[in-house]
Parts: sequence; structure tokens; C-alpha cells
Amino acid sequence: MMRRMSQTASWLALALIGTLLLSAGALAQQRRGAWVDEVIMSEEANAATAITRLEVGEIDLYAFAVSDPGLFQQVQANPRLAYSLTYGSFNEMTFNVAGPVFSGSGKLNPFAVARVREAMNWLIDREYIAQEIFGGMGAPRYTVFNTVFPDFARVADVARAIELKYGHDPERAEAVISEEMQELGAVKVNGVWHYNGEPVEIIVLIRVEDERREVGDYLASLLEDLGFVVDRQYKTAGEASAIWISSDPNEGLFHIYTGGWVSTAVDRDLGDNFDFYYNPRGLPYPLWQAYQPTPRFDEISDRLARNDFRSIEERRELIAEALSLSMEDSVRIFYVDRSSFIPRRAELEVTSDLAGGISGTLLWPHTLRFEGRTGGIVNVALPSLLTEPWNPIAGTNWVFDQMPIRGTADSGTIANPYTGLPMPQRIERAEVTVKEGLPVTQNADWVELHFAPEIPVPADAWADWDPVAQRFITVAERFPGGTTALRKSVVYYPEDLYSTVFWHDGSPFSVGDIVMGIILSFDRGKPGSPIFDEVEQPVIEAFLRSFKGVRIVSVDPLVIETYSDTYFLDAELNVSTWFPLYAQGPGAWHNLALGVRAESQEELAFSTAKADQLDVEWMNYVAGPSLGILARHLNEARASNYIPYEPTLGQYVSAEEAQARWSNLAAWYQEKGHFWIGTGPLYLERAYPVEKIVHLKRFERYPDPADKWALFAEPMIAEVDVFGSRRVQLGSPATFEVEVSFAGEPYPDDAIAEVKYLVIDARGEIALTGWAEPLEDGLYRVTLSADDTAKLAVGVNRLEVVTVSTLVSIPTFESFEFVTTR
Amino acid sequence: MAKAGTFGDRQARRLVRSRGASTGMRILKYTLSRALALLATVVVGVYLTVLIANMGGHVDEIRRSAIREQAALTLQLNQEARLLSAEERNQILNELIAVEERRLGLDQPFVVRSFRALWQALTLDLGRAYYMTSDSGSRQVRLIILERLAPTLLLFATAELLLFFLSVLIALFLSRRYGSWLDRLIVALAPTSAAPSWFYGVFLILIFAAILRWFPFGGMVQTPPPQGTLPYALSVLKHLVLPASSIVISAIFYSIYSWRTFFLIYSSEDYVEMAKAKGLTSAAIERRYILRPTLPTIITSFALTIISLWTGSIVLERVFNWPGLGQLIYRAIGSFDAPVIVGSVVVYAYLLALTVFVLDIVYAIIDPRVKVGAEGQTS
Repeated sequence: MMRRMSQTASWLALALIGTLLLSAGALAQQRRGAWVDEVIMSEEANAATAITRLEVGEIDLYAFAVSDPGLFQQVQANPRLAYSLTYGSFNEMTFNVAGPVFSGSGKLNPFAVARVREAMNWLIDREYIAQEIFGGMGAPRYTVFNTVFPDFARVADVARAIELKYGHDPERAEAVISEEMQELGAVKVNGVWHYNGEPVEIIVLIRVEDERREVGDYLASLLEDLGFVVDRQYKTAGEASAIWISSDPNEGLFHIYTGGWVSTAVDRDLGDNFDFYYNPRGLPYPLWQAYQPTPRFDEISDRLARNDFRSIEERRELIAEALSLSMEDSVRIFYVDRSSFIPRRAELEVTSDLAGGISGTLLWPHTLRFEGRTGGIVNVALPSLLTEPWNPIAGTNWVFDQMPIRGTADSGTIANPYTGLPMPQRIERAEVTVKEGLPVTQNADWVELHFAPEIPVPADAWADWDPVAQRFITVAERFPGGTTALRKSVVYYPEDLYSTVFWHDGSPFSVGDIVMGIILSFDRGKPGSPIFDEVEQPVIEAFLRSFKGVRIVSVDPLVIETYSDTYFLDAELNVSTWFPLYAQGPGAWHNLALGVRAESQEELAFSTAKADQLDVEWMNYVAGPSLGILARHLNEARASNYIPYEPTLGQYVSAEEAQARWSNLAAWYQEKGHFWIGTGPLYLERAYPVEKIVHLKRFERYPDPADKWALFAEPMIAEVDVFGSRRVQLGSPATFEVEVSFAGEPYPDDAIAEVKYLVIDARGEIALTGWAEPLEDGLYRVTLSADDTAKLAVGVNRLEVVTVSTLVSIPTFESFEFVTTR
Repeated sequence: MAKAGTFGDRQARRLVRSRGASTGMRILKYTLSRALALLATVVVGVYLTVLIANMGGHVDEIRRSAIREQAALTLQLNQEARLLSAEERNQILNELIAVEERRLGLDQPFVVRSFRALWQALTLDLGRAYYMTSDSGSRQVRLIILERLAPTLLLFATAELLLFFLSVLIALFLSRRYGSWLDRLIVALAPTSAAPSWFYGVFLILIFAAILRWFPFGGMVQTPPPQGTLPYALSVLKHLVLPASSIVISAIFYSIYSWRTFFLIYSSEDYVEMAKAKGLTSAAIERRYILRPTLPTIITSFALTIISLWTGSIVLERVFNWPGLGQLIYRAIGSFDAPVIVGSVVVYAYLLALTVFVLDIVYAIIDPRVKVGAEGQTS
């Protein structure tokens, strides 16, 4: 009896659990927009405190890339915590190349000699720097290419060869430097280099804010060991930049600067890096003007910057040569790609951009969720918040302010956080046509790529803006003889765009929002406009040099054509969506109109520069004295049923739409106390500026399913293992198997771009290269023919396998050692 | 006699009037000279601050370089600009730099700007910050400082006033119980004040926030802030406990010790012993014979305590993430935002000068030994 009751209870319990699971599943399927109900952001400047707060569950995420190795170990050791890795920043040593004798001081500068700079590559131990100084929070880097960006993966084998050539070899470094020093007329007296009877002094500008302090000391010690007298000058960013950027290199105020750079997003085209880092064309500053690349390096650098090549293969060859030449030139020595971690509670899932971290991707509000749960409140801490005024046009650019702003925003396309390739978000599909011969390739199937011998621009397309008449200047007016473009983009929005997409104040999305965006692309840079901003003028002028026209082909469904001479190597990057996500946030035509009115009447200004010029407040849509002014304009606009830029926008916005929008915004302001609206999955409930708190809530009318971007919960970095015989006879064939997996599952072959191999023989030279052949998902074979093995020397060889995925731009390197015998 | 007497009275009255007029003139003259001296001190102090905050003009170079660096990065991230020719790019870059330099006034010589900054500071026209904004987004230095003033005053006024009154009262109590176990305990604990308040703050956070979870780790109010005045005030109070406690704990023992030593000197004076012999109560002795002569020192200390509230504490505010003036000044120094630095200092300078000025007068009122403006004055 008891047993039967127990069984019945068990069945009931199972049924109940099943029902709950099914309900939860159904709920998850129905869920639209954000998984979580609320996100509350607050400030926490101290990373150690933030991690303690994570440990005790007071916060769920610390959205800051922390690079402290001790804290990393603490997080790794705690099963209640998890983390995401980011790789956006990197460090290098910048040399002053003036001389060899500074005209200002008459002192010797050994780094004016390219061979001395090149030898510095052998002098420093990048592995030591990455492992010891950075505590493992970094990977050795040798070239100008970031090791986690797609361009590095494309030339991974070339880069590997460079790494082998420029590995740590202090004896070689000393030999080359000694030889060049003697050539310069220096002599070593009691172990110290002298020039004209004086010790040769090297000034190292050492940045003090991070590990570069230790790197600077390490470098200084190495130079002292070589016989130089080193003046270690410890400087903050501002103090150092006054010397290395502003001073004339011939004054000799420094020899080496411990530089650092950051990339906030995955950059798919690093071709112009050679111009930027090694060429006087890079920047018009004194240090750059002292650069003297060889004619060949100069030519290749220029061609890569201008995309002057016919195919991707040709580009690859140019890059391979440029990489080698850049190492010989070495006006900079790159030594580490830093990695940082973003800690969170283990039960929290969220997407993180490889370069920009969590705050840097538009996907974070879509993927943030408690594992297996729908709803909940996520407490997020950031080092700073509400640092500067929020306005979509030229408001805060602080990365930490941009995180909540991205939560409220939507966009036409979203950058893949692991490859940098755009993916369709609000748009449905696109067509890209480029002029024949341009090296553009297509990667995804939502874009159709076409080539055409000529791309004429329609006469009725909008090519410019008349700020006085407030109407567009057509192509026929701007180019009376007609014009052509190198690139045409046609973007197709879904048919239900206007019925499914809403602004947070309840207003349906309309074509007016798109047209307002096009107008504002021009108006602020046009003298004669009431909102002219002199900062914008050069930017707009640059834009107009390549921009040829834009045309709204169809309003419903929305189809937009764009013509330009600007093009990118990936077809996806050539799509112009015109979705109203402005430089610093989302904006509807009606809430932006209030700002336009306020700036026109010189009461507020979108940009800080113009605010200073007018001596008015920098416009803030979420707090402060701006709100009263914007509220007054809202009342006036509502009373007059105002439509901004009426000669043009009036053709797309009806009086009824305007009336509804002003009512919606008034109600929104009344309820929320601010003017910040977007179409994103979260809306701004309230910003508390003094308390430094931002409260975001789930936008229930967001159209997309919550699991739309679930694929990006974690970067699928390939895990590679190589198997094969450890002993190979010269002249006999040999095979090796390469297993590629992720989380224990075979990596799909269609997501693998290539599996390339290099064989480094016993002499330390690259003897063989080739591609592994796919056998099945996650399994590849490297075959060395009898002729191949015959080329190897007797001894220990290393098979290096480079696996490049299409899902994530970080290539995976794995090596396997085998012995060759006769 | 009467006539003579009348004449004598008149003479006496004239003498008194003359002496009174002379005293009035003396006080007026003294007041003016003190005011002028203090004003000159403020002018020199503020100008020195302008020079120091700008590192004698060197900050201009730093700012110029920062502008160049920022402009270069901006252009580097601009996809369309990347495809322009080097000449076109450089032209845009130079235009961007020129606009920014004009905005920050770098197109004018530093000397001219330094005197303009001095005049603005002296007239309390604190102007606009270079980079920083107030929490609500304003560039006005006045608003930037005012917004941060309230949290700083709340924290430091609570802690410092508590500290001051507790110290004085306990010290007074101990001065009458020299050598008691409590007195010895306080003396023994006095060296603990060598550690700064943030040091105790870290421990308090560890114990009461991380382990016991009684109080929050930091911030001024819970997230999201509660609606309604009373819940909000209670939340602020809860957040105030740990930082205020760290200030009090870090200084209380030394403060009691020094006040108690000070009071002891006066407690052992002959007139106190005489009062004791006369059979006066302890309270009467403390009030009339100990507190009265020490009042100028207590008032001075109190006044300076009140002024010190203005400065906040850089490290403590950072440890507790308290949005006060200390953090503001830290950020201003870090970003070379001279108007904010000068703005903070000039208000402090004025407050200090005014306090010193008022104290001079107060001394004359409360301490009969002080004769304002007389030769050999003792103030």
C-alpha cells in the first residue's frame, strides 16, 4: 500500500515537473526581447571589491576588462564565478628614429639605424613579458597584426615564420647592436658605450599606469646590460604624450616609449596598419615625419592602405612581404596582445565581443540571462557610469556609458562579436554591387554580391543637402553630367517593419526616422544650418568626397539604395542600412527634433565643442538642466504639431503621425522623466546621475524572439589535437591526424576556413607548408609525401597546425614533434 | 566746583569719546588691514593654484598632445576616412585639432589665460570645465562642485562633527580623571590613529559588508534608489555608517588624547585648584575655569574642522565609492582639468580667509586678553 502511494506520488511529482518544464519551455519560446526583466547598473571603481561583491552575490556582472593576474586566479578558483576573455589592447615599443645624431642635442641615437631596431626583436623575450610581467594575461606578439583578428588568421603561417625568425636571441641582438654601434663611431669603455667621449644615454619613457612600468624597467635593464646608460623617465599618459607625440624627435627628448593601443571592435581589414604605424603618411606628427621606410615597403604599404590590388590572393602576398619588411624596419616593436577577463556569476550567460568585451557589443542585452531561467534582475557594476551627457548625436562616448545605451538600441545589422562581420538584425537582406576588378568577397548568404563594369547613380538620388531650403540636392543637381560609383548597396527591410518595430514611448517606427537620419548626416556639417557645428564640417566634407547618393526606392516595404566610392573587402561591410542608430545612441525623429530646436535657438548643443562655443549646456537627454529646456520645446512642438525639416520630412511624416508622436513622448516624459528612447530590447526606466545608477527594464513590444542570438553565448574557439607517428624515415610518406573540436564535440567542417600546416625542420627553418585534407567533421589529415620527408634533415622536426574557423577569428595553433631518421 | 566739575566731566567725556573714537578707528583700521592682507593672500594663493594646476603652462603641451592623440584615434576608427589619401586625412586631422584647441582656448597664450582665470576665480565666476561634467551633465564648474558638495558634506560633517564633539567631551571628562584605567586605555590606543581612515574602511567593508553582510560595500544609496524621501534617507543612512565609522575610528583616540592633554594643562592651573578649594562643583569648574580659557582654541579647531569638510577625502571616497568632492578632485587632477581644480581651491581659499577673519573678531569678543589692533596684541 505504502509502496503504491509512494509510486503514485513519484508519478505525480514527475508529471508536475514535466508540466513545469514544458511551461518554462513554452514561456522561453514565447519570450521576446531580453531574457531578463531588469538590469540595474551601478558604479564600482575597484576591481578587487567588485570580485568580492560577485562572490557574495551582491552583483552578477562586473562589465570591465580586468587584467590583474591575481584577480584572474581568484575568479578561476571560484566555481561560483565565470568570465569572458577580451583581446582588444596591445603594447609596443616606439622608437625615436631621428639621427643617428640628434641635431638638437648632438647626442647619438642608435635607434636611427634600422638594424639596431630590428635587433631589439631578438633582445626582448616576449614569452617572459607575457608570462611573467603580464602574469599570463597576454600572448606574445611579433607583428603589426593583432593575433585575434581575421587578417592574422589569413596569414597565420607567414606570421608563424616571422615568430620563428625573431624569437628571443640575446646573443644575436648584442652582436648586431655592437656591430652597428661601432659603425656609428661609438666605443665601449669599461663595458659602457661612449660616443665623442660621453656615455651613450638612452631615455626610456615609461608609462606608469599599468604593466608597462615593469616592461620599461625590464627593457632598461636589458639595455644597461648591453652597455648603455639608461635614463628611466616614468610618466603618465598626458606627460608622456607631450614628449613622444608633440616634441621634435631631433630634440632627443626620448629614445623609446612604452606605447599601448586599443581596438574596441574586431577589425577585419588591417591592411592600412603599415601606413599608420610605419609611414609618414600615418599621421602628420613630428615622430611620424621622421620615418623613412624603404621604397619597396613604402610602395606596398601605400597599396595596402588604398586597397590597390586585384584579388585577395594578391593582397595576401603583399601583406606577407609587408610583414617581413615591417620587422626589418621596426620603428615599433610589438610585443604583447593583452588579454583581460570580464568576471560574472557562473549562472549568468552573456555574449562578449573579442575586442570590445560585453559593453562593446550590441548583443549583450539579447543574450544576457540566468542559465535556464527566464526573467530576473541582473545587477551590473561598471567602473564609471553617466560620466558625460547622453545624447544620440554627439553625447557621451565613454565605453561604460555606451553599455546601457547599447541596451536600449537596435540596429540594421549587428557585428559578429567573434569575426567582426555584420549580420542582419532589423534588415532582411541586401544586395551589393561593386565595380569589376575590386577585391570584394562575400562571406554570408544574406548578401548578394554582384560585379558590374559601371555603376551609374540615378539622377533623382539625394547627393547632398541644402540647409537653408531644407531639401536634398539631387545627383542631377550636384553632378549635372551624371556620375558613377564604385559601390552600390541595396537594403531590404521586412514587410512588417512598421507594424512590429516600436519606439520605447510606444510610437511605431516610420520612414520619417530613416529620413531624419539621412538629413542629420549632412545638416550639422553645413554652414548655414542653424545646427551647424564646425567640428562636423571636415567630417562631412570627407564623407562627401566618396558619397554619391542615396535613394528611397520604396517606402513600404522599405528599400534603400546607396551609392559610394568607399568600399570594403567584405561584401557585408558594404551594406548601408541607414537605420537610425546614431554615433552615440538611438534616436527617433521626434525626440531628436527637440534637440534640433534647442540647438537652433542656442539653448543647448549636441556636441561639447559647440556647447563651449555657445556657452550653453551640453545636451543631455536623461538628466540635468537640459531636461527643462527640452520639455519646453516638447510643449511648443506638441502645441504646433511641429515637424522638423518640414520641406523634406513633411513628405514622409503625416500630421497625424506627428500628433501621435508628440503625445507619446509627452506621456513618456511625464512617466519616466527623461527623453531617451530607442527600439532596443531594454528601455531606460531612470537614470540617477548623482547616485550613478542606471535602471533598464525589458521592452515588452520588442519584436524578436529572445533566443535569436543564442548562438553567440560563447566563442567557438577551436580546440586542436595532432596525432601521428613520432618517428619518420626520410624519404618515406607520413600522415598525421588533426582533431578539431569545441566543448568535446567535433567542429563542423563547414565552419572551418582552413587547416594549414608548417613543418619546421631540425635546422629551425620552415621546410614544408600545405593544407590538411578534411576527412569528416572535426577530423583532418596532414599527408607528407616521400618527396616531402626527403627534404627534411635528420633530427627533431615540428609540425605546426594552424586552424582557422569562420565562426571566430582567433586561429588555433597546435604543434607536434617527430623525429626523422635515415 | 560744579563748573570745574562740569569742565572735568566734559574733559572726561571727551577723553572717553576720544578714546572710544580712537578704539573704533583702531578696530576699523585693523579690520581693513586684515581684510586687505587676507585678500592679498587669497589672490597670491589662487594665482599660484592657477600656475600649479597648469604646471606653469606645461599642461597646455600635455593637452595639445592629448588632442592630437585623440584626433588620430578618432580618424583611425573612421572607416571612410581610412580610404582617403594621406593629404586629405591630414587636412581633416588638422582641422579637428584646430577646432578642439580653439574650444579649449589653446590658441591664446597661457599668460593671458592665467590672468583671466585668476580674475574669474576671484569674482567666483568658476567658468566651464575642460573635460569634466557634473553628474547631471553640466560643464559649469559651479554645478560640478555643488553637486558633489552635498554628499561630501553629509559624510564628513556627520563624521567630523561626531568626532569633534565626542573627542572634546570625552577629553574633558578624562582631564578630570588623569591616570584612570580609561585614561590609560585611550593613551594606549592613540597610536592607532596613525593609519588613515581608508585603511579602517577596507577592514570595515571586509567584516560588515563581505562577511556579515550587514552594510553595503559602498555607494551612497541602494540600487535602484528607493522611491520616497524616508526610504531614500534611511538607505543613505545605511550607506553612511561604514565610511563615517572609518573616519571616526581612525582619528578618535588621538583626538581625545590631544584634547585631554590640552585640557590637563589648564586643569592643573592654580586658579582651578583654588576653585576646587572653594568647593565649586566639577561642572562649574569645567565650564568656568577650564572651558572658558580654552574656548578660542576649541573654536579655532571647530572652525577649521568645518572648513576641512570642503575638501573631502580622495582615497576614502574611492574605497567606499562615495560620490564626493575627493573623487572629483582626483579625477580633475588626473585629467588636468584646471578650472575644476582652481574652482575647488578658490572656494576653499575664500572660506579659509573668511574664517580667519571672523576668528580674529571672535577672539576679541570671547577672550579679554586679546586687544584687537593694539601694539603688542596677543591674538
